[in-house]
Parts: sequence; structure tokens; C-alpha cells
Amino acid sequence: MRALRPFLAAGVLLGLAACQSIPAVPAGPMTLGAAEVTLGREWSNVSALLPGANKKVTVLSIDGPLLNRLYVTDGLAVGDSLVKKAAKEKPTPKLRAGMNSSERMEFVADSIAAMGYQRVETTKPRPARFGGEMAVRFDLSARTEDGLEVRGAALAAETGGKSYFVIYMAPGEHYFEASLPEVEAVMASAKPRA
Amino acid sequence: MRKRRARVSVALSVALLAGANAHAQPRTPGLKPAPNSAEAGFWDVMDKAEREARRKAELNADPALNAYVRDVICKVAAQHCGDVRLYVMDRPFFNASMAPNGYSEIWSGTLLRCEDEAELAFVLGHEVSHFVENHSIEAHQADKNRRNAAMVLVVGVAVVGAVATAGTTDYQSAQSIGDATRGLVDAIYLASIASYFRFSRQQETEADMLGVRRSADAGYRPGASVTVWRDLMAETATSDFERVRKQDTRLGIFDSHPLEPERAARLEAEAAKLTAAAKPVENRHRAAIRPFLGAWLKDDLRRRDFGETLYIIDRLSRSNEDLGVLNFYRGEAYRQRGKDGDLKRAADAYREAATQPDAPAAAWRELGEALRRTEDRAGARVALEAYLARAPQAEDGWMVRETLNSLSKGD
Repeated sequence: MRALRPFLAAGVLLGLAACQSIPAVPAGPMTLGAAEVTLGREWSNVSALLPGANKKVTVLSIDGPLLNRLYVTDGLAVGDSLVKKAAKEKPTPKLRAGMNSSERMEFVADSIAAMGYQRVETTKPRPARFGGEMAVRFDLSARTEDGLEVRGAALAAETGGKSYFVIYMAPGEHYFEASLPEVEAVMASAKPRA
Repeated sequence: MRKRRARVSVALSVALLAGANAHAQPRTPGLKPAPNSAEAGFWDVMDKAEREARRKAELNADPALNAYVRDVICKVAAQHCGDVRLYVMDRPFFNASMAPNGYSEIWSGTLLRCEDEAELAFVLGHEVSHFVENHSIEAHQADKNRRNAAMVLVVGVAVVGAVATAGTTDYQSAQSIGDATRGLVDAIYLASIASYFRFSRQQETEADMLGVRRSADAGYRPGASVTVWRDLMAETATSDFERVRKQDTRLGIFDSHPLEPERAARLEAEAAKLTAAAKPVENRHRAAIRPFLGAWLKDDLRRRDFGETLYIIDRLSRSNEDLGVLNFYRGEAYRQRGKDGDLKRAADAYREAATQPDAPAAAWRELGEALRRTEDRAGARVALEAYLARAPQAEDGWMVRETLNSLSKGD
């Protein structure tokens, strides 16, 4: 737990610094454009704390973005990215036309690397559903620059020419497992809006 | 006229401030700084940075790789070998560094770009030269002297300006003198900063010259110092980004390093004066980095400068080694870039990879996918089945079998 103290402190400071722009998101259905998920508990919308995120991406957290974060996207089109590029010569991954499930997994891993995580890998791809559509569910592993082990879970789907993602990242020590049942339920509830 | 006066002021100030640069004596092996000295302060800071480096996610602790780079740095550091601690960091950029306490880093991007051990020896010899010549301490002392000199100049200008203003009788003249005084003070500060970077460039040039001598003394070919820069320049020229391609065409006053063409030209002249060792050091470089080629190329692809990555792959392919891995990542670069014609280029690269004994199983999977997209269903099926045969336990086997099913249905 000692290794997590700086993150706890940073999380608290970040939260305090921008408390006015962090709306609570109540339990129940949450819509984001053409996508919908059902939250089993109240989360906080911390998107304002992560200015590099795409506007079609909502970032939720329970304990602060350094301790757990859940990315939920609207339908992303060809050319869209999860992370904004910091400079023209430092591009971030973009969705390409005709990507398959394996390439969507690669897109997620490369986007997480572009956020500053190190040694990002995807594992255990397995079939999943996004409403009535086929999707892929997979696990992630990474480390922060300072060496903290981070684990992740992700769902990637494609329907109607748009790609949809639900991505969860949290430190492997305590936080990942603590919120995983809630995250699994959120992923199982993800679907395109009727 | 005002511009000319400002330029003269800056030039004069640079000349005066350049005189404030200091040169320390080269260090003796095993040197420890005196307590409470400026250098002891540097060591404290860098000891902390070193402790943090040991925890970094990018640290590559592979024993064989570390033994190799350690051996090379010891060859060029000679009697200072016991003073240096070298860490390999998996970062896909050309960089190396050495701190005054002997803490040194070499990045995987440098190891990937060095064609042989001699090029690595030059890079490490350059860093060791910074260390042995106490460049950090010199830079600190020079900066301190420069700040003092700048303060004296600023006070002098302010006093002259105040006296001149007191002697005027009208508001307009006083304002003009005030403007001129402020302009001169700004010029002195600008010159102080420019002088700092000029001094840094001089140190880099000195480290280049000493580095090539150190590596030649250790038995490495002196010309490696030239080829490493020439290849970096050639790589930069292939960048996808105009700003990167143009970075070596103009030197700014705030640049800490000389331009690469200048460095290569100076090193070429210096290398010509040095004689190659009668018995050159055996080149162990490719064997040392071979286990990491795939991971480092994957890291490099995440920079998303596909022109540069393809150049690196071409360069690594010159020796006709590791062509399975290299052609697979050539295919990956084309696939991810996705320009017109890249799908076929990717398929060709995967196909070439698949003919090599060191090809990763993924080469067949990606070949199959590329062929599926070009409507070569029969070829796609053969390649995907070959992937499953080579990687029967692959976690993504079910995805490949789904693709095979869709090919059978004619989807």
C-alpha cells in the first residue's frame, strides 16, 4: 500500500483542485451518444481532469483517475482517436477503416501507451456481446512510468461502421479487483442505443 | 538602427559573458566529492534520480544485455570503469546520458540504431567523456559566473541609465533613455541564456572528439562515430513529419547540441587522424540485441513515425540477419500506416517473413488477414491455417477460426 500513497495523494489533490467540474453520475442507465451502459453504483465523471481525452469519450472514476478509471465511448468513426495528440509529430492511434477485433485490441493498447503507461499488453481475448452484436472482451496489463503495476479490462465492438469501447484501468494492488465485479456488470450492460 | 544597436549589445554581452565560462580539471578515477561542495550537491540529486531509475517500468534488467553494455562502457571508460553504473531503459529514442555521480543510461532506441559494437562504443565514449571532463560541474560553474557577470552588467547599465535620465530636462528624452536601458537589460539576459547553450554545444563537441579517441583507444573503428550520425541523419530525412525532417537544417541560439551534419563532419576529420586497432574488437552487438528486436520495434511503432521505423528496419536488414522478425515488423509498419498500396506491401513483407526460420507465428496470421482483405480467399485460408498449426494454443485462435469460418461461408 505504501507504493500507492503518492497516487492516493495525487488523486485527492486532483479531486479537490477540480471538484466543481466533476459531476456525479448516478447508478442506472448512462447514455453516451449512440451507446448505453448501466452503472451499478454512483461514479464520478472525471473527464475534465483528463483534457487529452476525445470528446466522444467519457471517463468515470470511483476513487480518482489514478486509482481507477473507466472509459466509455460513443461510436468512434474512422480517424477518431481515444487520446488527443500533443503535437503534430507526436500522433496518437486513430481508427482505420476495416479494422478487425485484433486491430481494435491493438488500438486500445497503443492508445493506453499514448496516455503514458509503459509495457502495455493485451491478453485473453474472448467472445462477448455489445447488445446483440459480437464483441471482444480482453484483459490489459501495464505499468506506470514509476513502475506501479496496472491491470485493465476492455470491451471492443463494432456496429454500423462505428467502434465502441469500454476500458477499465486500475492499480493491480487492491483497486483493480475491488471494482472489477461492478466493471464486469457495466461491460455486460453495454449496448447500442435503441 | 535600433535593431543594429540591439544586435551589437547582444554580441558584446555574449562576448563578455562567454569569458565567464569555466573549465574544470578532468577527474581522477574513484573520485568522491568533498562534503558540502557543489559537486556533492549534484551527487545527492543524481543518487536520488538513480534510485528512481531502478524502479522505472522501462528498466531492462536482462543479465546478458546488461553484461554486454557494461563490458563496452568499461572498455571505453578504461580506468574509470569502476565509477560508472549503466542502466538500459526500454525507450524507443536515440539517447544516452551520464551524471556526475557515474549514473548512466542507454536507451533501447540507441541500441536498436547502432549498427555494431563500435557505434555503441562511440556513443558510450561520448558520455564517459562528459563524465571524465566534469562537464556538469563546468556547466554549473560557468552558469554561476555568467549570472554574476550578467548582474554586474545589468547594475552598470541601470546606473548609467539612471544618471542619464537625471540629466534630462524633458519627459520624452527620459522615456527614450528608459526604453534604451530596458532594451539593454533584456539583451544582457538574452545573451546570458544564449551563452549557456553555446557553452553546452562546445561541451558536446569536446565530448564527441574525446569519445572517438576513447573508442579508438579501446580497439573500435574510429569511423563508427561518423556512420552513427550519418545514419541518424538519413533516418531523420525519412520521417513522416516535416518538422522532424527539417530539425537539422538550422541551428538556433537555444540549441544545446550542435547540428548533426556539423558533428559528422568534425568527427570525420578527427577519425581520419586516428588509426584503427591492429586487432579490432569482435562485434557482438546484433547477438546482444537479438532477443529484444521484436519488442523494441513494437515500441518504435508506437511512436507512429512509420517512415523512420521502416528506415530502421531497412538498416537492420543490411546484414541479412533476423529477416523473419524484421520483415514481420516491416509488414506491421505498412499495415498500421495504411496508405495507398500499403496493404500489398504489408502482405509482401509478411510473405517474405514467412520464408525465414525466425518468423513469428503472427506473420502467417497477418498474411492471412492481408490476403483476405485483397480478396485472395484461398491464400488467406492457407496462411490462417498455417498460423493455427504453428500456434495451436494461441489465445486468439478462436478469432482466427471465426475468420476461417466466414471465408468458408463466402462472407
